[in-house]
Amino acid sequence: MKSQKSILKLVSAIITLAVFLTACASATTPVADHATQQPAANGSTATEAPAQSPASIAKVTVTYWHSMSNPETEQFNKVIAAFEAANPDITIESTRYASDDNSFQNAMVTAMSSKTFPDAARMDIAWVSQYAADGVLMPLDGQMSDFNAISKAVFPGPLSTNFYQGHYYGLPLDTNTQVLLWNKQVFQAAGINEPPKTLTEFADVACKLSDKNKEIYGYAQGGTYFWASAPIFYAMGGKIVDDKQTTATGYINGPQSVAAFTMLKSLYDKGCMSPNLLGGGIATDAGHGEGKYAMIIDGPWMVDKYKSMYPDFQTNFALIPTGPDGTTSSVVGGEDVVIFNSAKNKEATMKWLSYLMSPDAQRIMAEVGIMPTLAGLQNDPALPPYFGIFMEQLKTAQARVPHPKWSQMDDAINQAYQRILLGEQPVQASLDQAAEEINALLK
Amino acid sequence: MRAQSKHQLTSQRFFHDVLPTIIFLLPGFGLFFLFMLGPMGYSLRMSFYNWNLANPEMSTWVGFDNYIKALNDPVFRHAVLNTLIYTIITVSVQMVLGLCVAVLLNQQIRGRAFFRVSYYFPVITSWVIVSVLFEYLFNGQVGLVNYVLKDVLHITTTNLRWFIDDRLFFVPMTLLAIWKGVGWTTIIYLAGLQAIPAELYEAATVDGANGWQRFRFITLPLLRTTLVYLLIVLVIGGLNAYVSFFLITNGGNPLDRTHSILTWMYKVTFLKRDFGYGAAISYWLTLFVFLISLLQLKLLQKTADY
Repeated sequence: MKSQKSILKLVSAIITLAVFLTACASATTPVADHATQQPAANGSTATEAPAQSPASIAKVTVTYWHSMSNPETEQFNKVIAAFEAANPDITIESTRYASDDNSFQNAMVTAMSSKTFPDAARMDIAWVSQYAADGVLMPLDGQMSDFNAISKAVFPGPLSTNFYQGHYYGLPLDTNTQVLLWNKQVFQAAGINEPPKTLTEFADVACKLSDKNKEIYGYAQGGTYFWASAPIFYAMGGKIVDDKQTTATGYINGPQSVAAFTMLKSLYDKGCMSPNLLGGGIATDAGHGEGKYAMIIDGPWMVDKYKSMYPDFQTNFALIPTGPDGTTSSVVGGEDVVIFNSAKNKEATMKWLSYLMSPDAQRIMAEVGIMPTLAGLQNDPALPPYFGIFMEQLKTAQARVPHPKWSQMDDAINQAYQRILLGEQPVQASLDQAAEEINALLK
Repeated sequence: MRAQSKHQLTSQRFFHDVLPTIIFLLPGFGLFFLFMLGPMGYSLRMSFYNWNLANPEMSTWVGFDNYIKALNDPVFRHAVLNTLIYTIITVSVQMVLGLCVAVLLNQQIRGRAFFRVSYYFPVITSWVIVSVLFEYLFNGQVGLVNYVLKDVLHITTTNLRWFIDDRLFFVPMTLLAIWKGVGWTTIIYLAGLQAIPAELYEAATVDGANGWQRFRFITLPLLRTTLVYLLIVLVIGGLNAYVSFFLITNGGNPLDRTHSILTWMYKVTFLKRDFGYGAAISYWLTLFVFLISLLQLKLLQKTADY
């Protein structure tokens, strides 16, 4: 009796272990993304399928990471489908990450520490030099047969963001910049028919359209990170470091940069700029759509965003108002596509990159507001008409510092701006501190 | 012969008792080593290096530098202070409030099941959802709380910017934790209350003890083990505060003044990419939690006396 019980115990223990191990085994099979096409879907009868499958070509899979929005991802599935139709031997397995920088950066860092990078990825133009410095990216010049052809066909500005210590580590997938969005209804209700042309006008209009007690503001920024204030900063003539990236002294704390942050501080103090940028307030997109923020500064994706958020809202764009020297400016944004050194099938991955850079793929993505980098597509009739103003703004837009430690420089400016807004330090002293911090990063 | 039978006996014991035990324990231990001890050992190693993520073999040994760096880091010290204040407020309120609710729900009242479920509901709701909810409630411009304070009760004349001020932000943060946690402490208290023999109360009533005396001399002493358990678990939970801080103040905004220890660890590790320093911060926290738990166990070590 006792031994029977023991045997039962042993058997059940083994079963438990077996169940556990099989659970582990099945968990290691890759989870197919919704973008992966399932060939089984059109196999109508079970008897037909085995006769055909041995004949099919050996498939290679290219893994691709991105952080696109909902409408962009849906559109992107069309790009994948078109590529797979033209290359039946390659399957694209795309994985989508949340579009905020944190989540995607996390995934990248985790992948780096566990050496589980995808074959290719779309990443922010400001990240490429960092990952190139880490030594995890594959230089594309000299490796990719059509690199020269593609690099000649794209705008030089976005291309330059891929350059690090003598090599190009990626290709410019898309580009963008920020322009002024002005809520026409709010403007007209106050008797103003035109968006401001100069930053002086901009400040006046912002104050005219503000009513602090009703939480209505003429201007709002999404946060204190550099991207948000960059268009005004550059239009005011601000610079972060010298062109050779040797020093920040006299640049981030130079007179133009100080003037830019002094202007923002004065808007904030007078209640002409929403306090939301320090946290816990109304978001800029919602605030602008609902008429609480007369002006915001944002990118071309806002058109499709407002289509889903406020279908009746009419988005109005204008160039960033001009600074003291009479020129407009803004900040260059966008994404590059890179291949990791660890990519298993480099040939197939390079084919995929070439397709992403093709006019076909770029046209498909342009439909949802993603601006192509191919110079030849600039006046393409298939592109949405509102791209015009962004193309115009891009002529004067400036790139952030292409440096592996850019994200820490960004944090230094971010903190300086917060000290200014909260009145912890005068503008000059705060930017002096930022200059010191950035100088330490340049060494 | 004798030796052989003895050997047989042990091998029999092995197959009947020891082996099944080992096999049963194996999956749990496997997971524990793989996902807990392994990474812990790895990050302990990291904490003594200036860690190079892409090429770990190129990391340089820095000894205890990362640990000393934390002590001299004003942001870390502020984060520790924030975490301690948060823990003291949330733990004490949850323990007192939870006990009150548990004693009330232990009575034969109408709709008892309904109340028990209601109190437990926030517990099973995800931290993310609760954090987003509180972000809306305490929105500095259009939040419900500001509306009530300013437009209904007229306590303030301007909207309070809850998340910009490094003192004011404790209000939403602690309220969130208390609201979300009190249901759980209630359930644990209820379990403890139901383990107290009813005869004790009957005897006390016969002896003429009133309600307060019954609570003070029977309920409270016999709940001692429950109290210790709750205190330890809640303090550990409080010190490990992360999700709500990360989501609501975006980890430290403004000026890195609203960090909990873990959000600062996160920022150092993933945004500043100083993995050695991040690991050292997490080991400071581990040490801290360990010492506090030890102290609590020592201070409250006394067996239930009935």
